[in-house]
Amino acid sequence: MSPQTLCSFTLVITGAPYSSQAPQTALAFARAALANGHRIDRVFLYGDGVHLASALTSPPSDEVNWSQAWQDFLGSHDIAGFACIASALRRGIVDQSEQQRYELPANNLATPFTIAGLGEWVDSVAHSDRVIYFHNGG
Amino acid sequence: METLVIISHAPYCDWTGRESLDMAFSLAAFDQPVTLLFTGEGVNWLRKAQQADAVQQKSVEKNLSAAPIFGVSALMADHKACERYGLNKENMMPGVTVTALSADLIERYAHVVNLS
Amino acid sequence: MTTIHTLHIVNKRPDHPAFGACLSSITDQDGLLLTESGVLALADREAVLKGTIYALAPDLQARAITVDGLDVQTIDFDTMVALTTEATRVICW
Repeated sequence: MSPQTLCSFTLVITGAPYSSQAPQTALAFARAALANGHRIDRVFLYGDGVHLASALTSPPSDEVNWSQAWQDFLGSHDIAGFACIASALRRGIVDQSEQQRYELPANNLATPFTIAGLGEWVDSVAHSDRVIYFHNGG
Repeated sequence: METLVIISHAPYCDWTGRESLDMAFSLAAFDQPVTLLFTGEGVNWLRKAQQADAVQQKSVEKNLSAAPIFGVSALMADHKACERYGLNKENMMPGVTVTALSADLIERYAHVVNLS
Repeated sequence: MTTIHTLHIVNKRPDHPAFGACLSSITDQDGLLLTESGVLALADREAVLKGTIYALAPDLQARAITVDGLDVQTIDFDTMVALTTEATRVICW
């Protein structure tokens, strides 16, 4: 591909905020991708990455709130953000309908994230030009 | 355009291997070609007769042996890792091709996933 | 910018198993992009790297790692995005 070619990206985040640098590296990458005219088809949270979709993330006031930063970014650019349902339920990230289904005491999925299956990721593998992963640096 | 899913995490200590398998099976379920490659400590998933219930987890041995039925093209394992962890024909589950993680191997796949 | 075949993105410290797996899979035609803890490889006297080497500037700066005299291209996120679009395939180790 020539440097001018515009690409469609899917970003998969598998590292949790505050346990890894993954959400912040991914956000800087996402901003640069849009600034260079590329498109982001979707952001898919998988494994520990689903913690990014918690509406209850409350870091100290002198630290960046990466969950909030991602919510703002997705909202302002109208990009779909999905949290994998199996990863999310295991780790206690729940939307209203899953709360009702499992009769849980609360829900905590931050807007604009939605819960979805791995089919969304499969669609990315099949249709996005590039799927880039942001893992826990371990 | 086939996907290579690499499993490099040891079994039972975290969910990375399991969640990698879920990715491979999802691709297969949607008729997307996929191969599984076990590397490093990940080859320990392939040992026969694991009793995962001893640590109150589910064994993936049945899932792995059913992988071809679900449409996973191949199960492969890195030979150096097998050597290191003492895995051979006798103690490894059947149906696994021993190969080498290399640029030549990677070259066959359009997409490579390594959860880590 | 050099054209690269496979772009290997490594965010792991040099003694992480994924770093070794990456080095087993890389050729001279490939790019090796060091991010996060991956940039520590440039301070590691035991690390032997392959391919065309790039390092993400903010991660170098944060860790006060200098690349003077090393065969490394320091890049920003715009260039990282460009590299991912130009490479034949991208592997995130």
